[in-house]
Amino acid sequence: MDATAAKLIGAGLAMIGAIGAGAGIGIVASGAVQAMGRNPDATGTIQTNMILGIAFAEAVAIYCLVVALLILFVF
Amino acid sequence: MTDTPKPKVWGRWVVLGAVILGMFLFTGFFGIGLGLKPVQPHVVLPAEPLFNLGSFQVTNTLTALALADILIILLAVAISGAVKKGELILGGIIGAVEWILEVLHGMTEGTAGKWTKQIFPWFVTIFLIVLIANWTEMIPGVETVGLLHEGEGGHYQVEQWGPLNSIVEPAEGEHTGEAHTTGYHFYPFLRPVSTDINFTLALAIVAVVMIQYFGIKSQGASYFNKFWNTSTVFSKPIFGVIDFAVGLLEIVSEISKIISFAFRLFGNIFAGSVLLFVIGSLVPVFAQSIFYLLEFFVGAIQAFVFGLLAMTFMAQATQGHGGEHHEEAHA
Repeated sequence: MDATAAKLIGAGLAMIGAIGAGAGIGIVASGAVQAMGRNPDATGTIQTNMILGIAFAEAVAIYCLVVALLILFVF
Repeated sequence: MTDTPKPKVWGRWVVLGAVILGMFLFTGFFGIGLGLKPVQPHVVLPAEPLFNLGSFQVTNTLTALALADILIILLAVAISGAVKKGELILGGIIGAVEWILEVLHGMTEGTAGKWTKQIFPWFVTIFLIVLIANWTEMIPGVETVGLLHEGEGGHYQVEQWGPLNSIVEPAEGEHTGEAHTTGYHFYPFLRPVSTDINFTLALAIVAVVMIQYFGIKSQGASYFNKFWNTSTVFSKPIFGVIDFAVGLLEIVSEISKIISFAFRLFGNIFAGSVLLFVIGSLVPVFAQSIFYLLEFFVGAIQAFVFGLLAMTFMAQATQGHGGEHHEEAHA
C-alpha cells in the first residue's frame, strides 16, 4: 500500500469518532425538545443549555475532523 | 385591480438571470453553453502569504480580519449615529443589532448575575468579531480572487483570459500522475480569518486568561484553591487526596479549554469553506446556495457558542466552589 492510500484510509478512520458526537447531539436535542414540550415557559434557559451541551458533544467530532484534516493536508 | 402598490419583483429576475448565466457557463446547456469545467480545489491548511511589511508577513487571513474589523467599525459608526439622533425605534440592521444585544444581555444577566457589567463586553466582543469574520466567507470573491504564483509543486494549470488569468482543469491523465512538478500556487486576497488556527488560538487564549482574571478578581488568592486543593488532605485522608487530584485535573481542564475553543471554531469554519469549494466543484449551479445557507447558520452558531462558553466559564469562575466552602464552614 502506498502512502497516499494509507493517508486516505487513515483520514476516513479518524472520522469514525463523529458517530459518538452525532448520537450525543441527538440525545441532547431530544431531551431539550421534551423538556420544552413539558415546560414551554422555560424554553429560553433550556435552549441556552442545549446549545452548550451540543457544543461540548460536537467538540469531540471536531477533534476527529481536525485529525482527519491534519492527516490529509499536513502530513 | 387592487390599490396596493406592486411589490418590487426585479430581484427574482436578477437571481434567475444569474442561474441561467451559471448554467450557460458551466454546462453544455443544449449545446450552446461554454462547457467550462469547475476546477477541483486544492485545499491548503496554513494561510497563504500575500506581501511583506518589513519582516512582517501579511497573510490573506489578516486582510480578511481587517475587512471584518472595518465592517464592525462601520456598524459601530452607524449605531452611534442612530443613538445620537435619538431615534426611539431603531430599524433595519441597527434594530437587528439592538435585538441581538438585548438577547445576549438577558442571557448574561441570567448566568453571571452581578458580574454582568464586567463579563458582558467580553461576550459581545468575541461574538461580534467571530460572527462578522465567519460571515466574510460568504462575500463573493473571498477565497476565489487572488494572485497566481508559478512554482514547484503548484497544483493549478492556468489559461490566459485577456488581462486576467483563470485556473483551468489540468488535461486528462495529467492529474493522476506526479509527472508535472511546475504549476501555479493560488493565493487568494481574502480568506476567512477563522480558517487560520492562529486567530482562533489567540482568541481562545484571551478568553481563558480572562476566565482566570475574573476568578482571581472575584475570589482573590483563594481562587487558586481550585487548582491546589490541600485544604482537606489531612482532615479527610482518602477524600482529601481525591480532592487534591481533582484540583490537578482542573489545571488540565483549563488547558483543554484553550484547545477545544480554538479547534471547535477552526474546524467548523475550515470544514465549511472546504465544503463550499467541493460542492462548487461538483455541482456548479444551484447546489452551493443550500450550503451557503448552512454555512450562514454554522457561522452564527459557532460565534454564539464561542461567546456563550467564554461567558459561562467566566461566570463559573466568579462563583467558585460555593458548596465546598459551605461544608468547610460547618465542619
